Amino acid sequence: MSDLMKALTFAGSGMEAQASRLRHTTENIANADTPGYRRKITSFESVLNGMPGAGEVRTGRVSLDQTDLERIYDPSHPLSDDTGHHDGSNVDLVIEIADAREAQRSYEANLRLFDQARQMTSSLLDLLRR
Amino acid sequence: MDIRSALAVQNYATARPATAPKEGPAGQGTGLTDFAQKFADTLSEGETTAKAAMTGDADPHALVHALAETELAVETAVTVRDKVVEAYQEILRMPV
Repeated sequence: MSDLMKALTFAGSGMEAQASRLRHTTENIANADTPGYRRKITSFESVLNGMPGAGEVRTGRVSLDQTDLERIYDPSHPLSDDTGHHDGSNVDLVIEIADAREAQRSYEANLRLFDQARQMTSSLLDLLRR
Repeated sequence: MDIRSALAVQNYATARPATAPKEGPAGQGTGLTDFAQKFADTLSEGETTAKAAMTGDADPHALVHALAETELAVETAVTVRDKVVEAYQEILRMPV
């Protein structure tokens, strides 16, 4: 497989990984008001499939953010304890939005590289046409 | 009948087998077979992924990747074929 074809594969794996990251961010935002919800953290790892210096990336196991859950005061809530508090989620919308934006930018970067590798292969073949 | 034309026919008949295609030694010509095989593999992989994507089994990224690879493979094959055909036609146009 030529280097340009490898670049296509790696850029594709990067896009897939960023899409998975965006999905986890979306899940976090969707569950921002779920009591007891801990935000999911996406981890990235490179895939080693026998090639030296493998460049493919994928998302690894999802870990849960272990920071303290937000204590919400709402005595009418069925989950409230004696003091009228219950556990909310530890999702911070600002962090999630920033994460989503970062995923978008990384996705775009991978997309550009995918397109560039494709165009470079294409124009290389164009040389033979004249 | 002129003896020379008879001799020419005989010479032609003896020389004819020399131009017949014969099996090359092992390893020779397998490059092209490999190329064709890989090309067919890429095509069928692209088709399989496209089908899977249509039925919702495959990721769109996999679809785009497979189709981009197929497109480049077809482009390569077409370009190489054009070159080979062009070279062949050059030989055919050679004044004898």
